[in-house]
Amino acid sequence: MDPAFLTELAQCVGTDGVLLDASDLLTYESDALVHLRSTPGAVVLPTSAAEVQAVVRLCRRAGVPFVARGNGTGLSGGALPIENGVLITLSRMNHILEVDIPNLRAVVEPGVTNLAITQRVAPFGCYYAPDPSSQVVCSIGGNIAENSGGAHCLKYGFTVHHVLGVEAVLPDGERVHFGCAVLDAPGLDLLGVLVGSEGTLAVVTKATVRLLRRAEKVMLLLAGFPTIDAAGEAVSSIIAGGIVPAAVEMMDRLTIEAAEAAVHPNFPKTDAVLIVELDGPASEVDELFAVVEGICRQCGATTIEIAHDQSQRDRIWKGRKAAFAAMGRVSPNYYVQDGVVPRTKLPEVLRRIRDLEARSGLRIGNVFHAGDGNLHPLICYDEAIAGQAEHAEKVAAEILTYCVEAGGAITGEHGVGVDKKGYMPKMFAADDLDAMQLVRCAFDPTGICNPGKVFPTPRLCGEVPGPYREHPVERAGLAERF
Amino acid sequence: MSTQIIEPIDAAGAAAALGEANSAGMSVVVGGSGTKFTPPPSDVLISTAKMTHGLDHVAGDLVATLPAGAPLDAVNELLRRERQWLPLDPPRSHRATIGGVIATNDSGPRRHRFGAPRDLIIGIEIALADGRIAKAGGRVVKNVAGYDLSKLMCGSLGTLAVITRATFKLSPVAPFSQTLIATGSDLRRLSTLALTLANTPPISPTAIELQSLPHRLLVRFETTEGAAATQTIIAAKLCEQFGATTHVVTGPGEVDAWRAHEGRVFGMAGTVLKITVLPTDVAEIVSTVDRLTSTAGVECAVSGRVALGIVLVRLAGDPAAYTPIVSEIRRAAIAGGGSAVVVSSATDGAITPSDRWGPIGDAKPVMRAVKARFDPHHILNATLAPWD
Repeated sequence: MDPAFLTELAQCVGTDGVLLDASDLLTYESDALVHLRSTPGAVVLPTSAAEVQAVVRLCRRAGVPFVARGNGTGLSGGALPIENGVLITLSRMNHILEVDIPNLRAVVEPGVTNLAITQRVAPFGCYYAPDPSSQVVCSIGGNIAENSGGAHCLKYGFTVHHVLGVEAVLPDGERVHFGCAVLDAPGLDLLGVLVGSEGTLAVVTKATVRLLRRAEKVMLLLAGFPTIDAAGEAVSSIIAGGIVPAAVEMMDRLTIEAAEAAVHPNFPKTDAVLIVELDGPASEVDELFAVVEGICRQCGATTIEIAHDQSQRDRIWKGRKAAFAAMGRVSPNYYVQDGVVPRTKLPEVLRRIRDLEARSGLRIGNVFHAGDGNLHPLICYDEAIAGQAEHAEKVAAEILTYCVEAGGAITGEHGVGVDKKGYMPKMFAADDLDAMQLVRCAFDPTGICNPGKVFPTPRLCGEVPGPYREHPVERAGLAERF
Repeated sequence: MSTQIIEPIDAAGAAAALGEANSAGMSVVVGGSGTKFTPPPSDVLISTAKMTHGLDHVAGDLVATLPAGAPLDAVNELLRRERQWLPLDPPRSHRATIGGVIATNDSGPRRHRFGAPRDLIIGIEIALADGRIAKAGGRVVKNVAGYDLSKLMCGSLGTLAVITRATFKLSPVAPFSQTLIATGSDLRRLSTLALTLANTPPISPTAIELQSLPHRLLVRFETTEGAAATQTIIAAKLCEQFGATTHVVTGPGEVDAWRAHEGRVFGMAGTVLKITVLPTDVAEIVSTVDRLTSTAGVECAVSGRVALGIVLVRLAGDPAAYTPIVSEIRRAAIAGGGSAVVVSSATDGAITPSDRWGPIGDAKPVMRAVKARFDPHHILNATLAPWD
């Protein structure tokens, strides 16, 4: 990178806030989607919004693209650095600035971890609702970029439902506020589109989040079923019965075996298990839980275990949450897919996946958020066998096609990032993508904020004032002019 | 000026009409059933009145795709056949259309539990100013593919595009409903009581509304009959500790109580102001409204979604007498980090966007940029919004 630019960068954040050595940059080459790698020109570690603003202003002036990064737990390459760009890592901005229990709000910096908020407010009987499985390490800034959900989003919604306002630095370096601590900030709901925009519109430097009171009672059951279809039938009957559980999770035989080998949750050895959690006022939960138990029996559950205390609940959840990592016990490598189908199409899509499994010769484990139709097929392969990794990737892609054909989505929670931008046209027409691009161009007309993500062929926004100059992003072949 | 009225039946018709107006540089107003404001003068009025076909309810998925022109109550009547509903209860819901409810992000008392349109919408279809049709989101509740334009449309007042269809997540209809009414003498104490009720876990109401005068709280429980009874007893005890007397209404009595509650603010002439503040500031702002209106001798009705920090105020009588009060209320709300927006005005045609909205914050330039991208010739609902 240009030495004069690097000198100025150091002035923005101090010399201890800039990383330039190849060995230091290595850490930041990828997010949790590790097969995509790219080395940034520089990494900056700002400690304040003012520093973020200074860095963005400098990038804007020099025409250097930048990418904001939280703790790097993203699964779609959303925080993949741009070669010769600046990576703005927000992990040093990790302070909980304010907790307001009477109003159930907290103000946090973007580098604060998801779980840290809940830990801080737990003594007051409160928690922060979105709970992605990476909640111990993932940051709120990253959650906002990805609109993270978690196992309990069926009932409690996503990050977008729990962030009331943010302070953000725009790609032109202005620091502005979207939403605020009170509801219904006047004007367009730009916060609603900023959340989930995968860091392509602005860099969030502060967020006001909503806290919830812990429910009076939580009850959880683990039911074993002889077939996936029977378990699916139970889920449909629960929903049709007018019950909205806090969580409904399903695992198939392969993922049950893997979890058992890894963390011994003592799951029944059946073709499918269902985990159903209800929460709310005790009087309501007691009554509805009996209904759920009855439905499971009616649908042919062969075993039902009811968790009577927190430790039992923790053991069951541990078995579920360990499913991904546990696949390493049964397969040398595996590919995690993230797709969504309408709940009523689950049996049909699962049948197609089973056919694909037979046809492809690769084992496919299924673990999913059954309540909201979010599938996580795990495609097992062995990279030591030539061509098998590519084969697994193709199989994973075919599953996404099934999801779209069933009226679903190409990602329920991992995001589009770089990984899935090529699939966007499967789900959206060119006019749909152009309409989204209008928002992008309004926020970032010069295309320097996390370019090359989300959109299949990112386009520049046309009427940039002044004489035409080839944009660095254009030069790098990352975009064409809109 | 004569206005050309176009009533398309679907997105293609709306897009064609819009594209034509755009090429001709004609101003366009998009109208539903007119429950929010009188359409300002324009060259073209695109009415959604005939966009009422194609409702698609998938009960097993707990979602429905709804045409923009369908009235909310009619939609919910259909959804209720499967014991589900779109949990929104904005004023005048018998007439309010789906498109209008989205465009104004309108809601009612049960926002306390279920949220506003932006919290329930999962997909949208819009006709763009250039005559194209675009969609975003989808028909599944969990979906992070692409920008969520459906949320952007919520509250955009039809200034960005014509909303033609939307998909929402639904809720099951609760098997039982009853409302506890607590009557007190002191608004401040009632406000504190409302917050206490909201923050005492076994009590889990779907709505908590403050009203004055008379000084009352309406607390609604929608769950199983047993759970409603248990929670009502606990809530009633708390009310008594705060010196309020209570009674419970259910069945037709409950329906009447809520209808009357809505009517106090929305059923009569006047100007309606929506104030948003922190929940703990509701008592203070309500007292301020009370003081200002009684000093000026202005007739006023108040209802408050206390736990959400929303207060609705109807001011009646001579607009000249209460216009200065609106400014004072706005100043007080802004001082506490909130806002005060005129949601319906007795002087509908005369009110300017900035009088209606007050300041819209430091993101205004981005709002204007978004507007300019979606509607470069500024033809759409151009006189309505301060971000135009």
